Amino acid sequence: MNGAIEAPTIEYGQLMPMLLVFGAAVVGVLIEALAPRYLRKAIHVPVTLLSLAGAFALIILQAVRDGVPEQASAMGAIAVDGPALFIWGVILVLAFISMLLINDDDQFVAQAAAVPGSPEEEDAVAQGGAHTEVYPLALFAIGGMLLFSSANDLLIMFVALEVMSLPLYLLCGLARRRRLLSQEASVKYFLLGAFSSGFFLYGMALVYGFAGTVDLGGISSALASVGGQDSLLYIGVALLGVGLFFKIGAAPFQAWKPDVYQGAPTPITALMASGTLVAAFGAVLRVFWVALGNLDWDWRPVMWAVAILTMVVGAILAITQTDIKRMLAYSSIAHAGFLLIGVIATGDAEQNSGSLSGILFYLLTYGITTVGAFAVVTMVRDAGGEAGHLSRWAGLGKRSPLLAGIFAFFLLAFAGIPLTSGFFGKYAVFAPAVSGGALGLVVVGVISSAVAAFFYVRVIVLMFFSEPAADGPTVALPSVGTAAVVTIAAAATVVLGVFPQPVLDLADQAASALFIR
Amino acid sequence: MGETITFWVLAVVSVSAALGLVFSRKAVYCALMLGVVMLSLAVLYAVQDAPFLAAVQIIVYTGAVMMLFLFVLMMVGVDSSDSLVETIRGQRFWAMIAGIGFAVLLALAVGQAAIGDPAGVTGANQRAGGNVPALAELIFTRHVFAFEVASALLITAALGAMVLAHRERTRPRPTQKDLAKARFVSGYPGPLPGPGTYARNNAIDMPARLPDGSVSELSVNRVIARHDVEDGRLPDDPELAEAIRQAAAEEEEHNASIAGPKEDR
Repeated sequence: MNGAIEAPTIEYGQLMPMLLVFGAAVVGVLIEALAPRYLRKAIHVPVTLLSLAGAFALIILQAVRDGVPEQASAMGAIAVDGPALFIWGVILVLAFISMLLINDDDQFVAQAAAVPGSPEEEDAVAQGGAHTEVYPLALFAIGGMLLFSSANDLLIMFVALEVMSLPLYLLCGLARRRRLLSQEASVKYFLLGAFSSGFFLYGMALVYGFAGTVDLGGISSALASVGGQDSLLYIGVALLGVGLFFKIGAAPFQAWKPDVYQGAPTPITALMASGTLVAAFGAVLRVFWVALGNLDWDWRPVMWAVAILTMVVGAILAITQTDIKRMLAYSSIAHAGFLLIGVIATGDAEQNSGSLSGILFYLLTYGITTVGAFAVVTMVRDAGGEAGHLSRWAGLGKRSPLLAGIFAFFLLAFAGIPLTSGFFGKYAVFAPAVSGGALGLVVVGVISSAVAAFFYVRVIVLMFFSEPAADGPTVALPSVGTAAVVTIAAAATVVLGVFPQPVLDLADQAASALFIR
Repeated sequence: MGETITFWVLAVVSVSAALGLVFSRKAVYCALMLGVVMLSLAVLYAVQDAPFLAAVQIIVYTGAVMMLFLFVLMMVGVDSSDSLVETIRGQRFWAMIAGIGFAVLLALAVGQAAIGDPAGVTGANQRAGGNVPALAELIFTRHVFAFEVASALLITAALGAMVLAHRERTRPRPTQKDLAKARFVSGYPGPLPGPGTYARNNAIDMPARLPDGSVSELSVNRVIARHDVEDGRLPDDPELAEAIRQAAAEEEEHNASIAGPKEDR
């Protein structure tokens, strides 16, 4: 023995927001174990919401009082830098409003172990069974998202990827209605997700073989110093890319998105479509900008192709969809493509921080609008649950003008019409891309936005200018939570569309120092 | 020298086991092949001066994970059948092309890399005073957060298993009296018929013959009958074969009713 190991230092203050979320998740598990059944939900709701709000407050406190750390925390495993703090804030806001949707009764299965359609299931429903485990599971997923977006080495990024995904795989299979569809979604997501994690892991091993370190900054410096093993690096980067592109749902790895978004319980879809996307973009930026920033000549052409393919596939396949959730899923694919434009538009430090701030702003606006849109989807109901098929939405504007109006507004925001947050989001990403030399991509982006606008407008026309069917779906009277989500999302979409400057400034400020290495 | 010999011997063993794993049609064989692959890896680790990893590989993977696989297979395996219908035409063909292409690309590229002298872990082991201390130092200093956060993964897994598999009783447990009643109501209270007086063999997949010489369908295990029909192992006697087919058809029907009303609720 060569003496004692020096104890590691962990900056608990900087990591507090994340630790609070994980801690609340563990407390949630204890509640499941110890609290009587009738009390569980009443305890879970405040614990969950307070922990998310508290984590958000801690982030503000950190940014205002202590400023942004200049060194990676926890022995270099986690980078709590400006972009990370902004992304954490965005994830926590989105998670909070998704959580309000999850609170809503009647979305989750009464007993997951009962075979769909069996007498046991009927009994469980009749006795008011409920899986309150969704609260700790969702908190674990949110904690994983926070970690994923701020990982400073590939090892912790991989662990975070799993921490984030595993609860989501589970939650996807817990829809109350159309359970077989939900279980299918869960299995598909799990199998494909495990497969993509395998790619990520293999890529990580090859990159480690090249650089001799998993540290993102270390890989960056190894790019200059290690010679003769480029093919290891290229393959490693490609495989890492596969894993990350899968998570953001970029083509050609987008196939899981429509199926999973459709099958999962809608509140979980909202959480995945907003929070996971934000976290995954945080990780993409870290890998491609921090670790592989000096390799941009090599990954840029591939990223161009992926971005174009993603935008085109998302926009065109969305036109053919007849299910509202599948349509929103393809729209989310197209938006991932728009965001990739920002990832490509690198250059000098000023250019980078412009692109980064655009991406950060876009993630916030898109995430909030998405949660709002899925909240509306939960409210339009048939006898058998949500009315998914588009034809059922015909004439909704005559039946319930307010709700249809809000949904139309969200769709216009997705399309990027001026006076909505989507417009400034797109502008914030496209403008730096033009100055960063990605003009071709911006042209494709604008064209596919126009194609996308076509199907958004088609839904609006369907809602307002066709006759409602006699047996059309009813609009459920929203619970307080759902109403709050729709209101918050609509308000944010308006405010960020009319008066985006404060948030843009904030994003600029967060992006100004770029990522720490 | 010894390392090279071990490597080449194990390379043959593990690659052929891995191929067997992919191509074997029986799930239990697949699991055993996987065990062989894992054991070969463990030996390779040991040869590469990583005794801790080798031990963990054997204890955790071969010992625990593999045994779990086998248990799961044995508990659910016999009754399950995979549907090999291709939902996308030519899927398997194109998947194979893509897979082989990917493997060739990978092999070529990795083979191309001018890999310098392997550093190995010997130096690192010596510096820290042994393999285990060296690992401990990395796990508990540089990678301590990853190590701690993995606990979230374990909690999630345990919680998830509970959510998906734990069934709470929604109606009272049937007493012995209830069970007996149900048995008589079912119309056949006794045990299933044995091979019978006129039997020519007592294999469990052969239907029994009743005292009057007729064939009893009741006596065939339906799952085994289905496997017999699928694999074409029917007896020559047409009467027996018919009984097996009948039982297999019932099994199909039973499966279809479990798979349930296709239109979900």
